[in-house]
Amino acid sequence: MDHAQRERLSALVEELTTSGQPQLDQSKMKDVKKICKASSDYVEHFYNLLMSRLAEEHAEVRLSALQMAGELFSRSHHFRTLLVSSLQEFLELTVETDPEQPLPPPKEAARRLKTLAIRTVQDWQAAYGQAYKKLALGYHFLKQVKKVDFQDVQARTLAERKRQEEKQKRLERIYKDKVTKATTEMEETSAEIQECLTEMDSCLKLLMPHPLEFSLSDLEATPTAPMHCGKSASPAADDEQPCCSKDLNDRGERVEEEGSSEEGSDAEDIPDEDMFIRQTGLMSHKYSLSLNLSTDMSLKETEENEAVVNTVRDLNRVISTKHLPAVRSWVQVFTKAGVDQQLLSRAITCKSALEEALQRHEELHIHYKKRERRVMRAGADGEEDEEDDDFVEVPEKEGFEPHIPDHLRAEYGLDPVTSLFVAPAKPAPGSVTQPTPQPKRRATEDELDPTCAAATLRMLKQRLLSDQAAGPSSSQGASEGAETTSEAAKQDADRERAPVVPFDVDLYYWGQEQPTAGKIFKNISQHQFWIPHEIQEEVENKELSAQMKSRFITFAGSFQPVSHKCRTPMPSGSLCERQDRVKCPFHGVIVPRDELGRPVNPADAARLEEERMKRVEEQPDWRDRELMREIEAATGEDLGSSRFYGKGKKGSKGKGKKRKYPNLTDLKQSANTSRSRLERKVFNKSSMRRVTEAMNRMDQRKHEKFANQFNYALN
Amino acid sequence: MLGFLFARQTGLDDPLRLKRAESTRRVLCMELNQDRDVERIHGNGINTIDIEVIEGRYMLSGGADGVIVIYDLENHSRKPQYTCKSVCTVGRSSRHVHKFSVETVQWYPHDTGMFVSSSFDKTMKVWDTETLKPAEIFRFEGNIYCHQMSPIAKKHSLIAVGTKDPKVQLCDLKSGSCIQVLQGHRGEILSVRWSPRHEYILATASADSSVRLWDVRRATGSLFALDQHNGDRSKASFANMAHNGRVNGLCFTADGLFLLSAGTDDRMRLWKAASGENTLVNYGKVANETRKGLKFAVSQGCSPEFAFVPCGSSVAVYALHTGELVTMLRGHYNNVDCCEFHPDYQELYSGGKDCNILAWVPTPRKPDVEDEGQRSTTAESESTLNPAFEDAWSSSDEDG
Repeated sequence: MDHAQRERLSALVEELTTSGQPQLDQSKMKDVKKICKASSDYVEHFYNLLMSRLAEEHAEVRLSALQMAGELFSRSHHFRTLLVSSLQEFLELTVETDPEQPLPPPKEAARRLKTLAIRTVQDWQAAYGQAYKKLALGYHFLKQVKKVDFQDVQARTLAERKRQEEKQKRLERIYKDKVTKATTEMEETSAEIQECLTEMDSCLKLLMPHPLEFSLSDLEATPTAPMHCGKSASPAADDEQPCCSKDLNDRGERVEEEGSSEEGSDAEDIPDEDMFIRQTGLMSHKYSLSLNLSTDMSLKETEENEAVVNTVRDLNRVISTKHLPAVRSWVQVFTKAGVDQQLLSRAITCKSALEEALQRHEELHIHYKKRERRVMRAGADGEEDEEDDDFVEVPEKEGFEPHIPDHLRAEYGLDPVTSLFVAPAKPAPGSVTQPTPQPKRRATEDELDPTCAAATLRMLKQRLLSDQAAGPSSSQGASEGAETTSEAAKQDADRERAPVVPFDVDLYYWGQEQPTAGKIFKNISQHQFWIPHEIQEEVENKELSAQMKSRFITFAGSFQPVSHKCRTPMPSGSLCERQDRVKCPFHGVIVPRDELGRPVNPADAARLEEERMKRVEEQPDWRDRELMREIEAATGEDLGSSRFYGKGKKGSKGKGKKRKYPNLTDLKQSANTSRSRLERKVFNKSSMRRVTEAMNRMDQRKHEKFANQFNYALN
Repeated sequence: MLGFLFARQTGLDDPLRLKRAESTRRVLCMELNQDRDVERIHGNGINTIDIEVIEGRYMLSGGADGVIVIYDLENHSRKPQYTCKSVCTVGRSSRHVHKFSVETVQWYPHDTGMFVSSSFDKTMKVWDTETLKPAEIFRFEGNIYCHQMSPIAKKHSLIAVGTKDPKVQLCDLKSGSCIQVLQGHRGEILSVRWSPRHEYILATASADSSVRLWDVRRATGSLFALDQHNGDRSKASFANMAHNGRVNGLCFTADGLFLLSAGTDDRMRLWKAASGENTLVNYGKVANETRKGLKFAVSQGCSPEFAFVPCGSSVAVYALHTGELVTMLRGHYNNVDCCEFHPDYQELYSGGKDCNILAWVPTPRKPDVEDEGQRSTTAESESTLNPAFEDAWSSSDEDG
């Protein structure tokens, strides 16, 4: 056996297996075959190489090796005998027959490897199974013990299939549960839904009959409609009329159109053509009269149809929030689980009915009255009528008190501002009453809540305002208020400027002599006759008295935000965005610069240039980093390149270590996930050390108090 | 070979010598043969096989699913190609089938009309071969690991049964009841073997790592327990330990002079059956992880005897007295559980968890040829015999 050939074979095998390609390089493979053809020794060598490659923990290497084995298997008898003699290992490494030896990563390649291996074994069995007993045994082993389905393209093993089945079963069970649940739910609620639908339907009919349902019988009633439509607000609507008729704004013209069309249809009843012409003024039957019934109408809620509209609204809400989602989920469940058609169709009809009801409701465009609560509406009514009896109508809320004591206002959820109840021109008090800022949101909420006193108050306010507007009797107060407002504004301005200081003793005795300032009274003994012989009952402390009489007021000035930026041009092309006051930590003293980042002041420019020159001199140009490193490597002397450049350049240095097989998928490459990055940061050695040190120090500090005790002294 | 024949012809040699030489040669060239197949009946692992000694024709096999199959090993087709047909089966559909895994099957040593099987369903059944119905059922407290009838006994018909119980039970076929217990072990009994030389001598191996030899006529206790250090107290931490792990395999040599034991300490030891002395033959590491009994075989009628030991997915062949690993028979795709040597034809049958029974048959001796011309023709004839053996280098490879 030629040594050179042998070496070449090894090199070829290595190249082929580490190519990482899904297909083999044909020309190289041809070389391999040529060498192997020469002698069975080469075949044996090739076989040994191949088995060692197959044992590599890399699915791509194994895949390539398997493909090579497939090529040689069909060629050489010697190779076949060799491979068949160790078919167990071969199958373990390629088909994963041993569950304790799973195929190595990457996953995709492993999957392909397995599929290909199974197909290969099948092919071999078909071609050589008769001749090689062990091959046949292996095939049967795969087929009968490992239950590999050779027809199955997925090449799934029994375990995988079982898992799949179990999953399927579980899903089915879940669906079944869901279906039964949905069915029972449907049984329970279908009646309710039906009721809801009919109710909705009749309500809508009451509000607006369907255009198709206008019939001749309606005609008798309709002529009265135009009369009504004008005065929809009049309360004298006759009861037998459907209440909706006055609310339809476009009803009038509609009815007229209807009328004409009905007349047309009437005329058709008369056989005589003259009659027809006379009646209609039309020359022929052939005219087709197309009526443009505008289906988009708008309905206004009034007092008369209020009840119906309310019901419609409630029903609408119930349908859209409760029934429709439920029905939709049923339909979804049924379609997913694939139950019998009947249930599904029922659910679907239910759904469509609900949707139709909603659609019809949409089409009506009902304008609901603006109303928050019924109480508010009552208040609004009162405003209109200005009648006392209406006021009586307002239910007496619990806790309604026209006069609420000031200290209880917060409790009632009211602003402490009492300007409405107290005289409006209240002189501004010397003391600054700072209104406790009530959250605005809460206040409005309170006003909306009819059970709260705030709502009542608001109503009263409104009433009062309207009274003021109406009654001249209260005008005097108003003018007074106007007078005082100018004064108040001036005072307000003053107050804003004045510094606010906390109240203290010095203010308490403002402009007076403090009788006890700085005096300390010593408690004399309370005892009846035991009195210390030397007692100074009063001690005057200068320091204390000064403290009592004076006050420190610091004038620190206000914070002025920095408006300028550093604006030094950066290598990225942008300007430095730092907003330091005097000096940028990266670029030194901040000087005014133009929009290109050049210093405006020529003196500054000169200084900066000088500094730059200095820096360049320190690191001459010839000290190219790569060059330095090369020279260092060649001479073995430290020229100090690492001193200048080493810092922060470690990453690029590490890259120099080349991977052995660049074509293969790198298994060691950890996924670049946020977790791994964090792990690198958190678990790196230095940070761990830092943390432990800190924790140790904390532990020690705990014992510092007892450091002089021997058992704590040690740690 | 010719020399042996000539010596035999001239009467210089003992007839036994020729026989031994030839059978040794045959054992050494044993391989997985194309021509011999055993029908696949078992749908599960095969735990035990036994070949009857009267005709050497029928083989019993017991599977992990409780199925028992009888094979016909004789080839009457006058062709080298032969598949051993199953004669009859106690399948899962049978009313009398064992519920759980069959651990041991054995032919009645004197007649093929009867065989005994024991199973993990805690029963031992004595079957009538003709009707395939149990003639007698013995029930036990624990799982039965093994049983054996003495192959040479004329004066008694005892079956030694090893169960989970540390007592060895002796069942008498004559009375149909368990007549005696042998007390002495402290762990479950994994293997029992009757001596092929003395009909009352019994060897038992237990999970308490001891091997004991009994004379069943003696009521007081065992004759002795085998000690791996031959009584050297300085080495022994515990007295009379045959192995450092569970002892799960026992086998007497055909002449009954030696006893081979295998344990989960991955060792095999050869003992003198008469004295219980450890012969200190080093077999190296014999991988043995099974928790049940290990069924291995020893050749018969060869001049150096061989031991066939299941070892992972292959069968290891050791020279019995030197401990040398002769060869590994690779062919199973999963663990091998049992093997049985056919003494008449020097064939080995092995059963494993991959549901196969493989027949290891000696390769037929190649015709001796003198001149070159003839040899080339034979090589050609071989390749023409089976086109699959030809090399198929495509001509396109030459171009490339």
